[in-house]
Amino acid sequence: MDHILTLGFLATTLGATWRLATPIIFASVGEVISERAGVLNIGLEGTMLIGAFTGFATVYATGNLPLGFLAAGAAGALAGLLFAFFAITIKANQIIVGAALNLLGLGLTSFLFRTYLVQTGQGVQIVPAMDVPLLSQIPYFGTPLFRQNVVVYSTILVALGAYFLLFRTSFGLTLRAVGEHPKAVDVGGRSVALYRYAAVLIGCSLAGLGGAYLTLAHANQFVEGMTSGRGFIALAVVVFARWSPIGAFFVSLLFGMFYALQLQLQAEPSIHIPYQVLQAMPYLATIVALLLVRNRTDTPATLGVPYRKV
Amino acid sequence: MKKTAISRRSLLASALGLTLAGTIWSGLAHAQDFKMGLLVTGSVAEEGWNRIAYEALKRVEKELGAKISYVELQQNPASFEKAFRDYASQGYQVILGHGFEFQDSAQTVAEEYPDTVFLISSSNVHDGKVIGLNTDSSQPFYLMGAIAAKMGKAAGLIGGMEIPPIKEALEGFVNGAKDASADFKVSQVYLGNFTDATAAKEAAINMIHGGADFVVPDADAAGLGTIQAVREAGPEISTFSIFSDQTEIAPKNILGTYIADYGQGVVRIVKGIKEGTVPTSNVDFGLKDTDVVKFSYNDKAAHPVSEDVRKYVEDVRAKIIAGEIKTRHRQ
Amino acid sequence: MADINIPPPTNATSILAGASLRAGLSRLAKATAPPVVAVLLALLAGAVLLAVTGFYAFDIFTVMVNGVFQDVGSIAEMLLRATPLILIGIGLCVAFRCSIWNIGAEGQFYAGSCAATFCGVQFAGLPSWAHILLILVAGAAAGALWAAIAGLLKVLFNASEIVTTIMLNYIAIFMTSYLVTGPLMESGAAYPQSAKLLREVWLPRVVPSTRLHIGILIAVALAMIIYVFLFRSSAGYAVRIVGINSHAARYAGISVRRSILLAISISGSMAGLAGAMQIAGVTHRLYQDISPGYGFEAIAVALLANNNPVGAIFSGILFAVLDSGSELMQINAQVPQVLVFIIQGMVILSVVGFAALKFQSARPQE
Repeated sequence: MDHILTLGFLATTLGATWRLATPIIFASVGEVISERAGVLNIGLEGTMLIGAFTGFATVYATGNLPLGFLAAGAAGALAGLLFAFFAITIKANQIIVGAALNLLGLGLTSFLFRTYLVQTGQGVQIVPAMDVPLLSQIPYFGTPLFRQNVVVYSTILVALGAYFLLFRTSFGLTLRAVGEHPKAVDVGGRSVALYRYAAVLIGCSLAGLGGAYLTLAHANQFVEGMTSGRGFIALAVVVFARWSPIGAFFVSLLFGMFYALQLQLQAEPSIHIPYQVLQAMPYLATIVALLLVRNRTDTPATLGVPYRKV
Repeated sequence: MKKTAISRRSLLASALGLTLAGTIWSGLAHAQDFKMGLLVTGSVAEEGWNRIAYEALKRVEKELGAKISYVELQQNPASFEKAFRDYASQGYQVILGHGFEFQDSAQTVAEEYPDTVFLISSSNVHDGKVIGLNTDSSQPFYLMGAIAAKMGKAAGLIGGMEIPPIKEALEGFVNGAKDASADFKVSQVYLGNFTDATAAKEAAINMIHGGADFVVPDADAAGLGTIQAVREAGPEISTFSIFSDQTEIAPKNILGTYIADYGQGVVRIVKGIKEGTVPTSNVDFGLKDTDVVKFSYNDKAAHPVSEDVRKYVEDVRAKIIAGEIKTRHRQ
Repeated sequence: MADINIPPPTNATSILAGASLRAGLSRLAKATAPPVVAVLLALLAGAVLLAVTGFYAFDIFTVMVNGVFQDVGSIAEMLLRATPLILIGIGLCVAFRCSIWNIGAEGQFYAGSCAATFCGVQFAGLPSWAHILLILVAGAAAGALWAAIAGLLKVLFNASEIVTTIMLNYIAIFMTSYLVTGPLMESGAAYPQSAKLLREVWLPRVVPSTRLHIGILIAVALAMIIYVFLFRSSAGYAVRIVGINSHAARYAGISVRRSILLAISISGSMAGLAGAMQIAGVTHRLYQDISPGYGFEAIAVALLANNNPVGAIFSGILFAVLDSGSELMQINAQVPQVLVFIIQGMVILSVVGFAALKFQSARPQE
């Protein structure tokens, strides 16, 4: 029990937090971009699985890690294209299309894995961890926090990049306008559909990369259904973060921390809490958090609503 | 899993034939074939629990010349009875339900199909022709616990879900460790599923940071995440390979391999059934069945198990087989 | 969302009645043709996938259909599987008509199963009919309460029900896992399962020597009742108006909050009832994985029926055929059973594709 209160325990928790948050950061930041343009994609879970599988299959076949991530991002974008075609061009209900994408993602990756990649034995070589100069020398915290692989570090860039894109470029300005006042954008002579396509494609390729993190930068194997609900968590993160990419980064970390703490507390024999209670913690916390956020103003005005030209 | 087109074509032709046979000739036409079916609750493609049953089925096909078929039902208790009935009505002589959860449905269907033998994995049922086949993993895990306690400082165990085969295995490990060294610390984590390799890896990393130098998974495919964590942690951290030989994944860290050659055991039982002898009680495979439950050492590990620890292990192995040491159900 | 309203019965002359019948039939044909074509397209896509990966698609589908409709027993099994899908599906029709995106039917099903099991193993000595009734009511109530949590959070805190219902799914599943390894665990047994319900409280079966229980009849009856509720009652009208435009509804004096709570509770109660029937009618005890995802599959069932409860009977049966068939496909041709997810995904996409195209051509302007 005592070592729970030590700096070492804290540092371990923080390191695990960041690693467990990484796939959620990718997916939720992507979803922020998509939802800012007014498109709600609940198919993140399926998209992440597609990314995880494609990345794994590519690296298994070629041994080339960067190519694996590239393929995962492209596969995510392809899933996004399918989603966008139905949700934006055909103007079908976005929740329905998202549900279909989840089914397709789970079905396709499991089917192809069983048909082509059953015996993958050793798995693939994953992205190696690297020390951040100086920072990794900090006592206690250095090793757990600053000895991660480059994908984990890149989450900072992803969040900052999305922030820059959304709030510091004219593309981002228009993209947000598409989510709030599509009619104005349309009248101004720009294509609402085009911006929404772009937002969905960016969002889904990030989700694909988040999936690829699972197979190429954390575990080294593909397991059917291995996203284990992370895509749904990312959806909750977006709401909790009030559609801000920087917010999504920190809220994802909070979730990562709950995951990490859950695993750590279970390993403490002196704590007699049923493990199911610990596992339910992150989900309970989300609900409580939603009550605390309690806002309606930040929601993109046309979220989930297809745009029809006048 | 992929076969040539020709064989798949003929498989289908026979399946169509069977569908018809079921309606017209009530299975008479195919009475002479010996057929075995398998029900699993997950994917046979993944390393671990379901794969063991699949391998066993393939062994029955190869060694006994049986026609085989399997079905992956997901975790859906409502579908078990129908699948049993599908096979039984097609004249399958033996059906293996791979998990204790198949027990109820097998007992129900068995009343209607008195000629079919229902084998249930991880169960101790014996009710007419419904026969439990349990592999007592607590025995090899007891040996692993003993090794960990003799060689290490603390151990961590990562289980998939809290179900009997896993709970008992972890219990065996703890007992083995405590008997070897009374104050050896063992911590446990359940993932709540068999798919989250990411969580399995993080749980292992956390245990290693907490001072464990032995981290052992029992979580099917998710367990690969644990092996990965141990490998990355370097040669000072050790683990064991569970159910199938994964030594090549972490050759420096895996000190030994527990292989449940369930196929051997199943072939033995099914051979008996084919020749007309149905077991008269439930079957419990343990260390006494040296052809089924195997535990071997990896001499190429960074710190292979030393001679005197091996001697201790041989000693307790003999006592377990003789029934002098109880590895599970201690209270 | 386009409505398919069966025209109201008319008291006019026989000629008028004939015309109205013809119009009704053609409208029915127009309403049913797109889903049928959509399903065929999805099956075609599945067949192409099978062919590409080296299976004989046509033979496989023949085996599948032959197997599902082989005899009374296999049809009964298929209907048994359709029962929870229909029940949850008709409930979701109400929620979706109100534009409440209840993704939490899975959790509500688990909550219903837990409550039903608790009542099933307690209260021994009640007359059998009263005990069965208690089990079903408890299941429905638990499902409704579980859903009402999300409903309350929505009306009081404006918390997105998409998020809260997903979270409540996880919590319900962990709660079930805790119950079957703890308080509800069968005493003296090692397995994570509840005690078995006594035979007196099993649901009566409707087809001799099959497992098909009375639940399928209840499901069909409830589909009719919910249809009448949605399209012939003022509360149902309010639910639909809120779904179409909540501002207009508020303006028209409709209590939006009450409609939302009512809609989500009804959908939760159907899911909970389905869970109770699964316990009392099929498994007779509680397991950790009591549902293979009925709650998610039923979302597609409702949507395929265009949120029409009567239509949900048929789409529920269709999905049950796909489920049963995919198992047969694996038994007889060793096609990975996960193919069913792909086909279901395709079914949804082609259905929404058709529906949206029709919607656009019918209403070029808004």
